[in-house]
Amino acid sequence: MLRKTYAVIAALAMAALAACGGGSSTGTSSGGSSGGGSGQTLKVGTEGTYKPFTFHDPKTNKLTGYDVEVVTAVAAKLGRSVQFSESTFDAIFAGLDASRYDVVANQISVNPERQAKYAFSEPYTVSEGVVVTRADDTSVNSIADVQGKTSAQSTTSNFAATAREAGAKVEAVEGFTQAVALLKQKRVDITINDNLAVLDYLKTTGDKGIKIAAKTGDRTEQAFAFRNDSELPPQFDKALAQLRADGTLAKISQKWFAEDVSKPAAS
Amino acid sequence: MLDQATLQLLRDSLRPLLEGTLQGTIPLTVISFVLGLVLALVIALMRLSPVAPLQAAARAYVSVIRGTPLLLQLFIIYYGLPSLGLTINSFPSAVIAFTLNVGGYASEIVRAAILAVPRGQWEAAATVGMNDATTLRRIVLPQASRVAVPPLSNTLIALVKDTSLASTIQVTELLRKAQEAAAPTYQFFALYSLAAVYYWVICLALSFTQSRLETRLDRYVAV
Repeated sequence: MLRKTYAVIAALAMAALAACGGGSSTGTSSGGSSGGGSGQTLKVGTEGTYKPFTFHDPKTNKLTGYDVEVVTAVAAKLGRSVQFSESTFDAIFAGLDASRYDVVANQISVNPERQAKYAFSEPYTVSEGVVVTRADDTSVNSIADVQGKTSAQSTTSNFAATAREAGAKVEAVEGFTQAVALLKQKRVDITINDNLAVLDYLKTTGDKGIKIAAKTGDRTEQAFAFRNDSELPPQFDKALAQLRADGTLAKISQKWFAEDVSKPAAS
Repeated sequence: MLDQATLQLLRDSLRPLLEGTLQGTIPLTVISFVLGLVLALVIALMRLSPVAPLQAAARAYVSVIRGTPLLLQLFIIYYGLPSLGLTINSFPSAVIAFTLNVGGYASEIVRAAILAVPRGQWEAAATVGMNDATTLRRIVLPQASRVAVPPLSNTLIALVKDTSLASTIQVTELLRKAQEAAAPTYQFFALYSLAAVYYWVICLALSFTQSRLETRLDRYVAV
């Protein structure tokens, strides 16, 4: 009994130490992650609540969306079945670090900070951030006007960094809908998000209370994210190139956005 | 505010939310609570034992569990342990975290309940030749259980709602189902309210069971 209890305490202490070690984030190379090339099932991490990219169809309750269909198509090219794990956006990289899944399919924008820690595939979405304000707010006409405003963002989201760099004060929220709620309640002044996500929100809800006030000016590329030691990125790139060539990628994009958002950036 | 489309969405969501309740919230609560009670009894007996290291270990355990947020305990078990080479799936991870948590809190309740049984009960049992283990099992614990039911019910009801934290480690339970249902239509307020009603109904049922149980256990109490 005593020994067991000590074991529990020891385990907890070790876990606490590990957590501290993780906090300093010195490129934690998760032990026992032999990459994901061998198994037949491709384990995918995604949010499941970010329409129209990854969400549950209200009729069938099945996970669907642009990212879900693209990653499923990629897996099909690789001859592997897919298994999705769903979590909140702010926990999505923690799950990747912990080898809970091998790839994240969740409109992950490629940026230098993330590239330092993770491997990325070629992009499969090119989009642009937009600044959203209340419909009656005329004070924001360009990204420069964001200076000094309060912005609601998911803390680990790419757009939180965009907002911060533009001089906004960032309030942490759970997701886009919560950000819009805070915006309409006048607790924040703006929120920055992907124009595709914002357009879908406006279309779905018919919300007249908010508007797209400005573009952030920088186009972002979204790609699949992997652990740094993963052997999957080249395989994904090859499959994506095939899907691009045979028109599958454009077709999936047309289905969700009525336009092709999968084009690679003009290089 | 509740238009036709929202009402339809709520109707369509009744079933997914019920599934989340029956497959996630309730099993998670029941398993964690039962295991947690066993752990709590062990910890309480360690605290009450005359052996100093046992006491110290029990004290340390309760201190760690009560002194750290439940959300962090979940994160450490689910996201932290894999870096030590120990990967546990989301549901068992949640069971472990909630069991350890219940064990920590309930052990103090169990200890107090045992201490609340008059010393004379032990002495009386000794005079009829019972040893300590038998006395504990047949005399003390039945009486202690009556004392422990109201505070343990608090722990259980708190646990029902705490299981919503498991949504952060990919357990598909009630709250997560509500998020899933809300995302396509952006109707978070409506769906979260519906989820709140579900939690409340579960807790109502538990409160009702609590009073039945208290009445039943009254017969163990020597007046």
